[in-house]
Amino acid sequence: MSDHASPLGADFKPGQFGNVARGIGVRLSEPQYGYLGELAAFAGSGEAILKLVRNAAGQPGAVSFPIAANRWFLAGQEGMDEPVKAKLKPSDGTLIDLSHGRTCLRISGPKVEWVLSKLYAIDFGLTAFATGTGLSTTHHAIFTQIYRHDGETFDLFVFRSLARSFWHSVQRAAEETGFEVV
Amino acid sequence: MSFHRIDPSGKGKRPVSFIFDGTRVTGYEGDTLAAALLASGQMVMGRSFKYHRPRGAFAPGSAEPNALVTLLRGKFREPNLRATEVEIFEGMRAESQNRFPSLNIDIGAVNGLAGKLLSAGFYYKTFMGPGIGPLRSTKFWMLAERFIRRAAGLGRAGLAPDPDRYDRINAFCDVLVIGGGDAGRTAAEAATNAGLRVILADANPPKGVDIDGAQTLSRTMVWGVYDGNTYAATERVADHKSARAPGEPRQRHWVIRARTAIHATGATERPIVFPGNDVPGVMLASMFGDLAKRGVIPDGPVAFFTNNDAAYQTAADLAGSGATIAAIIDARVEVSASARALADLCNAEIHIGRAVTGSEGKSALKAVTVQQFDAATGEISGEPVSVQCSTVAVSGGWSPSIQLASQAGGNPQWSEPLQAFLPPEPAPGQDFHVCGSAAGVFGRDEAKADANRAAGIAVAKLSGKKLKVAPRPDCYHAYFAAPVHEIRGTKKSQKAFVDFQHDVTAADIRLAALEGFSSPEHMKRYTTLGMATEQGRNSAIPALAILGGEQGRSIAETGTTRFRPPASGVSFGVLAAERYGDLQPGRLTPMHDWHLANGATLYAAGLWHRPMIYGRAGETIEQAYVREARAVRMGVGIFDVSTLGKIDIQGPDSAKFLDRVYTNMFSNLAVGKARYGLMLREDGLVMDDGTTWRIGDIHFLMTTTTANAGKVMQHLDYCLDCLWPDLKVHLTSVTDQWAGAAVGGPFARKVLENCVEGAQVDNDAVPFMGIVHGTIADKPVMICRLSFSGELAYEVYSGAGHGQQVWDALMGAGKPFNITPYGLEALGTLRIEKGHVTGAEIDGRTTAHDLHLEWMLSKKKPFIGQAMMNRPGMTDENRLSLVGIISTSGKPVSGGSHIVDEDELTEPADSLGHVTAACYSPALEKYIALALVKNGKSRIGTIAYVTAPLTGQHLPVEIVDCHMFDPEGRRMHV
Repeated sequence: MSDHASPLGADFKPGQFGNVARGIGVRLSEPQYGYLGELAAFAGSGEAILKLVRNAAGQPGAVSFPIAANRWFLAGQEGMDEPVKAKLKPSDGTLIDLSHGRTCLRISGPKVEWVLSKLYAIDFGLTAFATGTGLSTTHHAIFTQIYRHDGETFDLFVFRSLARSFWHSVQRAAEETGFEVV
Repeated sequence: MSFHRIDPSGKGKRPVSFIFDGTRVTGYEGDTLAAALLASGQMVMGRSFKYHRPRGAFAPGSAEPNALVTLLRGKFREPNLRATEVEIFEGMRAESQNRFPSLNIDIGAVNGLAGKLLSAGFYYKTFMGPGIGPLRSTKFWMLAERFIRRAAGLGRAGLAPDPDRYDRINAFCDVLVIGGGDAGRTAAEAATNAGLRVILADANPPKGVDIDGAQTLSRTMVWGVYDGNTYAATERVADHKSARAPGEPRQRHWVIRARTAIHATGATERPIVFPGNDVPGVMLASMFGDLAKRGVIPDGPVAFFTNNDAAYQTAADLAGSGATIAAIIDARVEVSASARALADLCNAEIHIGRAVTGSEGKSALKAVTVQQFDAATGEISGEPVSVQCSTVAVSGGWSPSIQLASQAGGNPQWSEPLQAFLPPEPAPGQDFHVCGSAAGVFGRDEAKADANRAAGIAVAKLSGKKLKVAPRPDCYHAYFAAPVHEIRGTKKSQKAFVDFQHDVTAADIRLAALEGFSSPEHMKRYTTLGMATEQGRNSAIPALAILGGEQGRSIAETGTTRFRPPASGVSFGVLAAERYGDLQPGRLTPMHDWHLANGATLYAAGLWHRPMIYGRAGETIEQAYVREARAVRMGVGIFDVSTLGKIDIQGPDSAKFLDRVYTNMFSNLAVGKARYGLMLREDGLVMDDGTTWRIGDIHFLMTTTTANAGKVMQHLDYCLDCLWPDLKVHLTSVTDQWAGAAVGGPFARKVLENCVEGAQVDNDAVPFMGIVHGTIADKPVMICRLSFSGELAYEVYSGAGHGQQVWDALMGAGKPFNITPYGLEALGTLRIEKGHVTGAEIDGRTTAHDLHLEWMLSKKKPFIGQAMMNRPGMTDENRLSLVGIISTSGKPVSGGSHIVDEDELTEPADSLGHVTAACYSPALEKYIALALVKNGKSRIGTIAYVTAPLTGQHLPVEIVDCHMFDPEGRRMHV
């Protein structure tokens, strides 16, 4: 995915912005996953597909989480889909490559829950949104799939065409806490 | 001066300088504007709505009805803020309102002379109903309306945009505690100690000590309760600051979702209505308490007027602060020993069984008249006695603040001892507990015990444990009030105000009752009582007492109105929060920056930003699109088709699924081929069209129009989820996965030959509707030969992240052929020439027959819409059907114009149809259009007229076949 042009273009400007007088509230970045995709099970094949999801998620740097009934989002290194493809029976489900279609924006830092709470009607408390889990939601018209890496780090997967607009929304929400683009 | 500071140096607080009505005033940090103004000698702070009477501050916090001010920030004005809530800050500019030319001299006060005319129902009586003479009818309203509207309202909003930013945030908790008083803090502490996630929202500034483990929101007013324990609140983040940090909002809108809530919202003191009760200096007793806490006390003697014991404590506290208590006038016959002891403490003379029956003074109080009063009958007797005082502290008892509970509950319950409504039980689906004075439990210890009880119930409920619930503590009896709400004076010249802000008097309420407005809801609307910014906090109980009294009913029998959000004033800015400017996100194609860099004028198509034209210096829009369209016909053009909806369809039943949703067959489509498809709605009307490509045996890529991508996806999802859940098919939106470039024109193939690797693109390798895979600039591409322009054309799809690189390569390969980027206007021109339909014709009202697409309706298989498409109304020969239009006058035709038979522009005639799209055709060198016309085919070859009465356009046109250019399609099949 390293040769993919970023949808953020020149609007990705590294540096510190907003109210940084008391430190950096959050850090924003655009991590480059080698593969993004969606694995879906037909009715009755959920267990078989879930096994594939677990295998895929076991790869280094890979994450997976359910985004709807019998649907999982996969993110990882390039080629992550190969073992899945090899074992996927057409009668069980489907795999679709979304490596170009979705953009990942990472937000991390001590104020991450505060900033995200401005964007989503989601409970970001650790007891409600545990590490290693994800979910689907929207910010106005922007469909987002959110994954929590740890207490202070989230990946936000958005449609590529909306990524730049969303990038501005995230930055605006983070101005109050001060943010750094890295 | 009628008020002064206990410590003139401000007790070590930082001095704060601000401007009020153009005059510099100095207060101290932590002052409300009302406190600072009173301490500086400013008693009059506002003018009333109707009679423009001079008014001073009356009640603490959000209950204030009189002292409304406008704050100025640059050219921006924010009106109707309560001076009792506004925290002063250095450099603040405030001004009084509803007065001209000044607060002290107001021309509007002349309205007071017409007081009798301006009684309840003035507008209805004066301007509605049958006219009697020239001055009493709706015609009079037409004349008077603009003057009345100009005079109406309090503050003036101004026209300058709000320079501030506002924020919105979501929060979740186990327990939301509303109110930061003793009860609220006790409940929050108890719930936090039980391990629950607690948010404590307090309308006041921070009290210094946070509750460990709880999230405390100070300066946060909770004003609304919605379904599922969702609460709305406004945090005044920076209202009290001179300068804001970067990104700091002025206010923040909180949406708090709580598993349960504890309302510790307190209680508000209410007045006793008496003649002349609106003179500046007449205040609620609790207002004196609030001011004393801020170190501001009255200069002159204070007269207390009460019907309860609690006011005695206020009097004693005030005396302890250094104020002089002139007298305590108590409407009751019996007063407790403890109250008498408190009166002794402040050296006040007690007037038992007496009432205030009038006041002296206009802009400032000089004295009140006191007479004997029979609380049982309300009769006044005896000679009036004058009590000299500069202020009056009124206490008619305390009303629990049940606004939020009422919003989320049933009917409030009347308490006779308190003479107040108690909170209702929660409505189904809501869960809250009310404690402390909000529940009618007064007294600090009692309120704390009640808060612990409420927290215990909440904790038990949330943890699923059984709990022994302690009985509710008794109300502190000092807060019991006698049923005295109004004193009917003998001095008829003085008005007795019930709703101060709207100038609703006791007489207005009696008039409403007399005229049949017996329900509180009707009386409220007829008199506007309780509809001011303080939402009836002061007026509700006295008004109900007067209304009920007129009808021989008790307050309990009369009932009360239901509260609705917001419980307190909310700025529009904070409701809009981040939703300002561009109200929707922009959707950009992978080549967006290139379009901008190459002179594109963008056009908003839904969320998408699409190139309209790539104009050159000095070109008009028409010149630009004609140049671009001509380049496609004569050479080669390139167009960004990334916005087309794209849906990945996979699964063993994919072909079967497509056969059902499209009117034409897809199961017989070969792998590596594409087909144009037509989709109907269930009612038989056309829904969308597009091409679908068979990428693999059980794998298809469907394209939709840009506008209908979401709608088609929803439709397909519905079909799979509800109609045919047995089909093994998965749908995924892949619109963003692919960047698309349409390369069209006689040299299109040569352009591809110059850059495509790993595949041939000649006619044999890629016939019409054929698909090949190859690379361009080392990036994988999928190429389909199809044409919307009518020229030899290909759509080249690559991964969106490679889109720009592929586009650049295509531009480079096309350079020898002068490849020309073209926008939507040229695309529209090319398709109009060809008679290809878009959303302008697929408008939700047309059938396949109307658009001459009946050849796509399969007779070999069922499909959605088939059963309904042949209803008589859908096949009527007089339906609008697609035709071409050629302007015979050489003048342009406007889209949306009607088609008529009449050769002259007349009053609207019978329309034959309308123009759906129009342009100048460089291929035909004429102004042309597509139109939907009644029985269109039968009119081909005839002359009609396009007419647009609004613009005065009326032009002769020839109706022709919709395929106006290369009708055989030879150019795209070369």
